[in-house]
Amino acid sequence: MYGTKSKIDLAFEYQSQIPVLRPSIHSRRANLTVKFQDLYGFTVEGNVDDVNVLNDVREKVRQQGRVWWALEASKGANWYLHTTIGQGSALTSSLKFSALANAITLKKLIKKGIPPVLRPKVWFSLSGAAKKKSTVPDSYYDDLTKAVEGKVTPATRQIDHDLPRTFPGHPWLDTPEGHAALRRVLVAYSFRDSDVGYCQGLNYVAALLLLVMKTEEDAFWMLAVLLENVLVSDCYTNNLSGCHVEQRVFKDLLAKKCPRIATHLEALEFDVSLVTTEWFLCLFSKSLPSETTLRVWDVIFFEGAKVIFNVALAIFKMKEDQLLLTHHVGEVINVLQMTTHHLFDPDDLLTVAFDQIGSMTTNTISKQRKKQEPEVMKELDQRIRKLNSLKADNK
Amino acid sequence: MGTGKTSLVLRFVKGQFSEYQESTIGAAFFTQVLSLNEATVKFDIWDTAGQERYHSLAPMYYRGAAAAIVVYDITSMDSFVRAKKWVREVQRQANPNLIMFLVANKADLEDQRKVGNEEGEECAKENGMSFFETSAKTAQNVNELFYEIAKRLAKANPSRQTGIKLHGRTQETRRRLFCCV
Repeated sequence: MYGTKSKIDLAFEYQSQIPVLRPSIHSRRANLTVKFQDLYGFTVEGNVDDVNVLNDVREKVRQQGRVWWALEASKGANWYLHTTIGQGSALTSSLKFSALANAITLKKLIKKGIPPVLRPKVWFSLSGAAKKKSTVPDSYYDDLTKAVEGKVTPATRQIDHDLPRTFPGHPWLDTPEGHAALRRVLVAYSFRDSDVGYCQGLNYVAALLLLVMKTEEDAFWMLAVLLENVLVSDCYTNNLSGCHVEQRVFKDLLAKKCPRIATHLEALEFDVSLVTTEWFLCLFSKSLPSETTLRVWDVIFFEGAKVIFNVALAIFKMKEDQLLLTHHVGEVINVLQMTTHHLFDPDDLLTVAFDQIGSMTTNTISKQRKKQEPEVMKELDQRIRKLNSLKADNK
Repeated sequence: MGTGKTSLVLRFVKGQFSEYQESTIGAAFFTQVLSLNEATVKFDIWDTAGQERYHSLAPMYYRGAAAAIVVYDITSMDSFVRAKKWVREVQRQANPNLIMFLVANKADLEDQRKVGNEEGEECAKENGMSFFETSAKTAQNVNELFYEIAKRLAKANPSRQTGIKLHGRTQETRRRLFCCV
């Protein structure tokens, strides 16, 4: 698509360059910090144990790949597309049964992770991006990027400003080619939906989508399906009202699912949105290691935005004991940051997120959102009115 | 929005500078301790995202803040206009005892200057704020700025110390600081 596949593939080859480090008592004691490149080419800092965890993760990814290949061999290459049971269709009962069986297999399988090589294909079909793309002419993306070339808007100015500030130092993203690709995706989207235009945070999301999907056009459609179908509406528009709603829903859920933490943090006057806002807007891409983030995204694209709540709750839950010992806002933030930055094994997080937090249906979350919406709108409205009255005073 | 808020805070907290600082989403949190003769001031700094739509999140950060720094970029008139908006918002909505500072950053880019020193100074004066021109890149005036904030805080409400007592006669006070624009 944009002739940089080889560059991106390069990033994956770094995998083989990582030394296998045996944790020795000495190095543990010294808590030696090493810099290394993770599965998607990001430089991370960690100790020897982290490197070993990452090597284990690589091995698990390979095993998971074998599981997927075996399924393709026995069920056919696109078996996961036939998981919905046609209503009133002429399907025979045995076909219906196999579709149901596939659906159950798929749900479990996706929680265990989609192998990086299959991610572009699986994400594209399961998220609904393929369907979205199929409703417009094939040349939509090319036409759009051509039509908006050279146009300057507040959105494009902000995008240009943010390009070198999006994962600086990444071996592909932080190159002229990477910048140009990210720019085209973000600018094209800013014209597709002028209500969103460009919102800071989308730069990180789109960058990661580019790394996974490997073509701009597919990354663009994934961004579109994410904003238009997967996430709560108005998450990135105007005053981020959708994000405000999510934060309130999250606070309620934390009080329900982790009551001791919620009570303790409240006593410290710690508003959890101080940390969770970034998680919701960047979908963890700025906080979790890349493979862990993408494992979360695997499930988001299949099951929906409710997954963000599961994962965010899990991060708190995992550190319950430590969090209960904090005395100060700074300590809370430290615990959460240290935790997220070192979650190199995605299964550590996802096991808690889905087995311990308990399942929540999209329906439950939607009801909670409806409940919170009026209050959020009222608050945002009051703020704007206050500001406007201020302007009137000054004139 | 690229005025150098994070760079300014990182210069103060870590003594570091990088040309391309990751854009801040929501806000970032930093701490730093400054020892004055009269007191030890412990800063809790909330460094907020710059884009205008993020302003709706700001009350969460300036709630309970003791001081606020409003930053603009001397090479961008647009950033100065937005800084003035911020000044009004914070004055109206935040704690009335809040001490406010207006900071003109990127002073090293003198040849690209669009906002005159006098304009900044006048705006600060009108709003009862202290004014500093800084450069996070060269470190010019950065420590001076935070020392001044610490001094003003120590003087303004010595009785409102809420922190832990340290050994000796100095007291530690936690001060919440809010950085915007």
